[in-house]
Amino acid sequence: MKLSLSEDQSQILDFVDTLTKPFASVPMHDVSLALSSDALDAELVEGGFLDVMAEEELGPVTAALVVERLARLPFAVEAAASALVRHAVDPELPRPLCLVEEGRLRKPVRFLKEGATVLVVGASGVRSFTASAEMIRPAQEDTLYAYPVAFLTELPDALTSHDVEAAEILRCWRLALAAEASGLLAAALQSVVTYTSERKQFGRPLATFQGLRHRLAEDQVMTNSVYWLAMRAAGTGDQGDAALAALHAQEAAKRVCYDYHQFLGGMGMTLEHPLHLWTYRLKLLTAELGGRGAQALAAADALWE
Amino acid sequence: MEFDWTEDQQAFRQTIRDFLGANLPDDWENFSEHGPASPALTAFAREFCVKLAEAGLLFPHWPREMGGEGLGPWEQQILSEEMWIAGEPRGGQYMNVNWIGPTLERYGSDEQKARYLAPITRGESLWCQGFSEPDAGSDLASLRTRAVFTEGNYVINGQKIWTSYAGLADTCFLLTRTSDDRKKGITIFLVPMDTPGITVRQIPSLIGEGDIHEVFFDDVTVPESARFGDEGQAWEIIAYSLRNERLGIPRFVLARAALDRAVAMLKQAGDFGGEAVRIEAARCAALCEAAGTANYAVVQKRVDGLSIGAESSSARYATVMAERAVCEFVVEFVPEALAGAAPYLKMHHQRGIVAGVAAGSAEIQLNIIASEVLELPREPR
Repeated sequence: MKLSLSEDQSQILDFVDTLTKPFASVPMHDVSLALSSDALDAELVEGGFLDVMAEEELGPVTAALVVERLARLPFAVEAAASALVRHAVDPELPRPLCLVEEGRLRKPVRFLKEGATVLVVGASGVRSFTASAEMIRPAQEDTLYAYPVAFLTELPDALTSHDVEAAEILRCWRLALAAEASGLLAAALQSVVTYTSERKQFGRPLATFQGLRHRLAEDQVMTNSVYWLAMRAAGTGDQGDAALAALHAQEAAKRVCYDYHQFLGGMGMTLEHPLHLWTYRLKLLTAELGGRGAQALAAADALWE
Repeated sequence: MEFDWTEDQQAFRQTIRDFLGANLPDDWENFSEHGPASPALTAFAREFCVKLAEAGLLFPHWPREMGGEGLGPWEQQILSEEMWIAGEPRGGQYMNVNWIGPTLERYGSDEQKARYLAPITRGESLWCQGFSEPDAGSDLASLRTRAVFTEGNYVINGQKIWTSYAGLADTCFLLTRTSDDRKKGITIFLVPMDTPGITVRQIPSLIGEGDIHEVFFDDVTVPESARFGDEGQAWEIIAYSLRNERLGIPRFVLARAALDRAVAMLKQAGDFGGEAVRIEAARCAALCEAAGTANYAVVQKRVDGLSIGAESSSARYATVMAERAVCEFVVEFVPEALAGAAPYLKMHHQRGIVAGVAAGSAEIQLNIIASEVLELPREPR
């Protein structure tokens, strides 16, 4: 048992922080619903940050740490699937990597665009294809989710089958979900802490009122434990741990998002404040893999059957 | 980061399990339902802890200069987990080895060390903690039990409440007021419980026989040598003690064990097939494991020699969430457990009730998280 970062891990997170510094705040006057950056994506690829899983001395915990850190940025970047799922399928799969549950084509797909790899996971196994323009229907322009999303209109006739168990890919997916949610939760909490510490009503900062303090403290407890469960799921590679981590992450998201916008009052309804960039990503993550109930059932199977 | 126990740690855990297997009676699960502070368990613990001491398992985490094995915080954690999951056969003596012993070593006079440390190391003594008062619970610094220095002795008057183990303890680690300064006016005394003027009344409770008490001090006279540290040094000493006991009892392991036990009962009864029960059980497991990892993150800081701050409050609150969830799960899905069908689950439930109240309430933990982890501006006083 060793829960502190290794030297390699600290160093890589320092590199990530340095590289992402220009992307750590929202550009002035950018009030778009979603925020993404091809430049950031390119730099992450170039620096090899999405491939740390493949490095023997780094592995899945370091990959999860990188995903967590990147998710704190206001810019959405397709890191979780690439860093934590792709290597279990085929490290050479072109990015972005879009994860789709078999039989659930009605759901919006994160990062879907022409040329993206779509990985379809379900009863038929693990299959992939490259998305072409005619398979993609853009989402409504002012969709609320702060990721770039689009819809798949159809699957191609032929998909590439991968020789890997669907259960193993679901495990990696749950881990990816938890690691990403962990960073989103941390960033959302920090932004609300900052706002409520500065905003004054009745002559004192909002954060001095116990009605908010206790709820924010509970949110910290959830956020902290989502982080640790995600890292543990990465470290043990266990099905049950991954399901518990994803479950706890979706539970936490459900619990905090409404509160956070509430605490910001009117500002929580605007695009001027970046809170929605993290909370509406979290909301979409709560819809992944069948939601909390499905994660809980998967965990129950792994733990008690 | 590594999430597996080392081979040595696994072997250490197995050693403790073997010891428990060999030294707990066959009807132990019914027996442990009596509660850690009950007369029956206290009497058992007096024999059990002597054997534990002989096997080198009473205080292996103490430094060698104190007679321990110098094992680290992980081993202390493993020892605490295995004892608590077994129903805490050490009774109240867990306090001796977790914080009273180390605090005596650090702040005690030579006379106090000679008098009190040896019985602790032999597994023979039981302490109680005279902290809370009727008007000083979460606001501990407002305590009013007064010690007045008169003719070479201290005369103590006042009342304590919620005092665990008081009915059978040998010695009280007692907080008193020696001056009006809120925190710097508090002084510790080590008071033998058979000193004239001490009256103990048991409080009937949900949490088991003999667990909580009122303790009255009427002109209790102790020599100056009973004072622990200097006058007014109590707050500093307690802060040190709490550093040894920040995480407190590893309740999350018992919560998880109780959950697994409840699920096993449900499976046996053919009642674990529905989605509702499986979803709730998994939610409980997530909260237990969440609390576990949050606690381990704090243990890691101890291992690394870092000072432990408010993150231990976050781990404590996570533990309260887990305890509450499992207690509610058992009541909702295995209600017969609390009516005699499952002593282990009733034992867990009774101990779970305490989680958000004892050793700093859940709300106080939230206050600490708000101020010291999130660094929110303080509430006006």
